[in-house]
Amino acid sequence: MADRPRYDYTEGDTAGGRDREATTGTPRWVKVFGIIALVVVLLFVILALTKGPGGRGHGPDLHGLDGGTRPASVSADLTASGVPSVATSANGGHG
Amino acid sequence: MIMAPRVRKLVLTAHVASSVGWLGAVVAFLGLAVVGVTNQDAQTVRGAYLVMEPAAWLVLVPLAFASLLTGLIQSLGTTWGLFRHYWVVFKLLLNLMATIVLLTYMETFAVMAEVAADPSADLGMVRNASPGLHASLALLVLVVAVVLAVYKPRGMTRYGRRKQRVRALTM
Repeated sequence: MADRPRYDYTEGDTAGGRDREATTGTPRWVKVFGIIALVVVLLFVILALTKGPGGRGHGPDLHGLDGGTRPASVSADLTASGVPSVATSANGGHG
Repeated sequence: MIMAPRVRKLVLTAHVASSVGWLGAVVAFLGLAVVGVTNQDAQTVRGAYLVMEPAAWLVLVPLAFASLLTGLIQSLGTTWGLFRHYWVVFKLLLNLMATIVLLTYMETFAVMAEVAADPSADLGMVRNASPGLHASLALLVLVVAVVLAVYKPRGMTRYGRRKQRVRALTM
């Protein structure tokens, strides 16, 4: 026989206050999630720092799309405006 | 303020639709990313990277904000609260993190589209594994959020326990 569902969708969405939280302290799953979150955040920080002071957060620099890998026309356009535009090629645009 | 049951159902429907829609859109992006990295046709590869940026602005970003907004309303408008249960807090953090990364990644989409649109850029320069990696990680984050929403694992925050005690005393 199937167990009664631990959580009834209709009930659960209104019954946050139902007294099923008798346990005190932090559950194990929260600790595990917390550790994983901490590791992920640390990885991001390390990635950002290793990109040096010129690194721009989670932008193109972090994804191998720095000036060195862009076509010259795109890099020049980015340098001039700071914001990439669609028509950037040296021959005046794209077909 | 606790929402009336009819309003709550409406917001819940909007939250589930936008969140699952976001997840589906990420799967579609993963498909595009695979096309971009593996397809042999130059036009198709360039097209994949060109379509990512507008598609992200039109689909991913609105769905991310819809999911975040409806989630906030849903939690604040019910007795679940926003900071009372660990699973709600984690879902909020996951949603916020995914939205922030998406917004900062939009610049990358723009640059990839630019490179793809540049006829002087060779195909090796156009191809980029980054969208596939990001779509995979986004998929993982959103699946975890769905699992949290469905299973609602036990665990009240200190704030939640305090609220619960206060409520028990006043009842």
